[in-house]
Amino acid sequence: MLRYLLRRAVQALVVLVGAAVLVFLLLQLVPGDPVRSAMGTRFNPDVYEVLRAEAGLDLPLHEQLIRYLSNAAVGDFGVSFRNGESVFELVVARMPATISLAVAALVIALLISFPLGIVSAMRRGRAVDHAARIGSQIGISVPDFWLGILLILLFTSTLHLLPPSGYVPLTEDPVEWLRHVILPALTVGLISGSIMTRFIRSATLESNDQDFARTARAKGLQESVVMRDHVLRNAMVPIITVAGIQLASLLGGVIVVEVLFAWPGLGRLTYDAVLARDYTVVQGAVLLVAAIFLVANLVVDLMYALIDPRIRYR
Amino acid sequence: MVVDRRRLMASAVALSMLAGIPAGAAAQDGGGTLVAAIGAEPDQLDPHVTSSYNSFQVLENVLDTLVEPDENLEMVPALAEAWEISEDGLTYTFDMRDGVTWHDGSPLTANDVVYSYDRWATNNGWRFGTVGSVTAPDDDTVVFTLTAPTPNMLANLGAYKGLAIVQEANVESGDIATAPIGTGPFQMSAWNSGDSIEIVRNDTYWGDAVALDGVTYRFVPDPTVAVTNVQSGEAHWTSNLPPQQVNNLKDSGDIVVQAVPSNDYWYFTLNKAREPFDDLRVSQALAYAIDRDAIAQATNFGNATVNQTAIPETSGWYFDYAPYTRDLDQARALLEEAGVSDLEIDLMVSTDHPQSVTAAQVIAANAADIGVTVSIRQLDFSTWLAEQGEGNFDGFLLSWIGNIDPGDFYYAQHHSTGGFNAHAYSNPEVDTLLDQAAAESDREARKALYDQAAQLIVDDASYVYLYNPQIIHGMSPNVEGYSARGDAAIRFRDVSLSE
Repeated sequence: MLRYLLRRAVQALVVLVGAAVLVFLLLQLVPGDPVRSAMGTRFNPDVYEVLRAEAGLDLPLHEQLIRYLSNAAVGDFGVSFRNGESVFELVVARMPATISLAVAALVIALLISFPLGIVSAMRRGRAVDHAARIGSQIGISVPDFWLGILLILLFTSTLHLLPPSGYVPLTEDPVEWLRHVILPALTVGLISGSIMTRFIRSATLESNDQDFARTARAKGLQESVVMRDHVLRNAMVPIITVAGIQLASLLGGVIVVEVLFAWPGLGRLTYDAVLARDYTVVQGAVLLVAAIFLVANLVVDLMYALIDPRIRYR
Repeated sequence: MVVDRRRLMASAVALSMLAGIPAGAAAQDGGGTLVAAIGAEPDQLDPHVTSSYNSFQVLENVLDTLVEPDENLEMVPALAEAWEISEDGLTYTFDMRDGVTWHDGSPLTANDVVYSYDRWATNNGWRFGTVGSVTAPDDDTVVFTLTAPTPNMLANLGAYKGLAIVQEANVESGDIATAPIGTGPFQMSAWNSGDSIEIVRNDTYWGDAVALDGVTYRFVPDPTVAVTNVQSGEAHWTSNLPPQQVNNLKDSGDIVVQAVPSNDYWYFTLNKAREPFDDLRVSQALAYAIDRDAIAQATNFGNATVNQTAIPETSGWYFDYAPYTRDLDQARALLEEAGVSDLEIDLMVSTDHPQSVTAAQVIAANAADIGVTVSIRQLDFSTWLAEQGEGNFDGFLLSWIGNIDPGDFYYAQHHSTGGFNAHAYSNPEVDTLLDQAAAESDREARKALYDQAAQLIVDDASYVYLYNPQIIHGMSPNVEGYSARGDAAIRFRDVSLSE
């Protein structure tokens, strides 16, 4: 087990370095640079050269890359080109908003998808199943910005129940946090839940068709016991995989929804930074997202063993 | 039990007074914090470095300039209480306002102006080509010595808060980018990354007492959501209105819409350094081919005024000149004279300015009527600026905002040595007129020179001018004392909240 973890950690490190190099090179391919972007229409060639030199952008590419990697190795991710703030602090400052939205959205997604996916599988071909499949297909197809606007029109403009946008930290005022998180979490959760409903339905169906399920029924077990102890238990492995990936992608920030609801999360930080060619911030944010995915994958893999005793790590 | 009616009455009055006093007092001083929904987070708040309008929506209320534009965009005293201009127009002596302190409590001195000027000279140098030296003979006086008469000197010193007086210590510490220290009616309180900027009242402000306790700027990128914020009472004011809803909102009553003609203008231009656009007849052909009314309608839903010159009709410098009416035969004839056929134009617009995309779509449709293919290249603004700088375009479409003096409208854009002449226009006659006008101190004579220059610029179709949009702000009915301004400056120092 320990060796397994160690091996995974080394793998993770390689992936992170790879991600850092890749995003560094990708940013070089995009036209425009942070200094010109910051100067806007006030462009002055002399000042431009000075500012570029100050930022180290005049160095050869490989030197810039080495400088960036060696600084990152000791935890120095540089400062934002836009306002000189520490990238690390900027990224960390956005984490509470992103985490709270991701968790709230995942809770909504699970509340929708678990009952719906299982009932839909158990009542295959019946009205419930059709309704669930049509509903989840709509949920998958609906654009998130449009769903968000509809929810705002319903809950703010018509019912006057919830604020249309904004964020209040959970630690500051839990009630206001909840009022502000509901609409964006519902937008993301409905879509995420639709995707998961489909997965849970098919995983349950697949598991239901296996020999062990038939055996369990043949030996006269109650249907509810068959479902709980045999079918669902075996369906959990793919379900957890999907849930883990959903959570990881939610933690990476949901750009469109964050922009729509003026939610100060990681997705919006990345989006603004890309538009301003704020290289250091983009790199820092992408590295963080890569790290989140790696950790999420590891946790998912470790959970397999808990659910399915046949799986062992070496 | 004996009820003493008089005592009962008295205590009722006392009770109502107790209950009434705080509420009444609050209503009277109009305090409270105004929540303003703006379209995006400022990139940074160093006035001499940022070029983002979002930054200036905040900075307008935090910083001061030597002089500032009043509601008619005439320069009036701000940090300079008075000034004298020498007979030859070469020396400007400013008398600094007494007793002004920075937000950190330290006194403002003439040396701060000299320091700020030195900083402008690197960052904003093009405005100060004629400034020889700036000195502070004493703490209370600043002297600008010019190498040539510069009638628009005052506008150059105060047109917008990008010319603000800054504090050296604030710059040296680097804090100016996130927490600028100024002398204005409000001071920085907090910047919550991605969410909001909070400013609070400066109780030692040199101007009239400020009513609001503070202003919170929330970054709300989606215009529909921004309006919903105002309608639902989550915000009081927004500069981020969806253009297609403005007319409906004006009639709705739950939100007050203020619209004023602005000094901004939209235009497109073709790259005169490239063939066949070096032949001005190609630009003129397009000027005849386009339907300005349709463009203004599509982009602003009628809340814009078509104009064939840069300066809006509300300005004292307006020049009534409109030679182009849509005439497809004339347009085709000009193309034929220029020997151009099957023309394709790569027109560069920015998705960060959606108006430019819409305008380009109408222009493309118009141009198709004379057999010209316009392919619209949509770029984010960073890339757009880079491409413009490299000269990698057949044409581009954009706007200029916040200009006040006619020199601002024409010199940098159309003088052959102008800093923003990216489209490589050169007409020696225009150069001479613009140079003369820049040095002419008689207002009438100056206007005549600019009119002549403008006529040539329009005839040559250096820029093809389209329209002046309106500045449109929405607010809840309890916002009092706010007025939208033609220069797009957003001032909250005279605003109060009723109830």
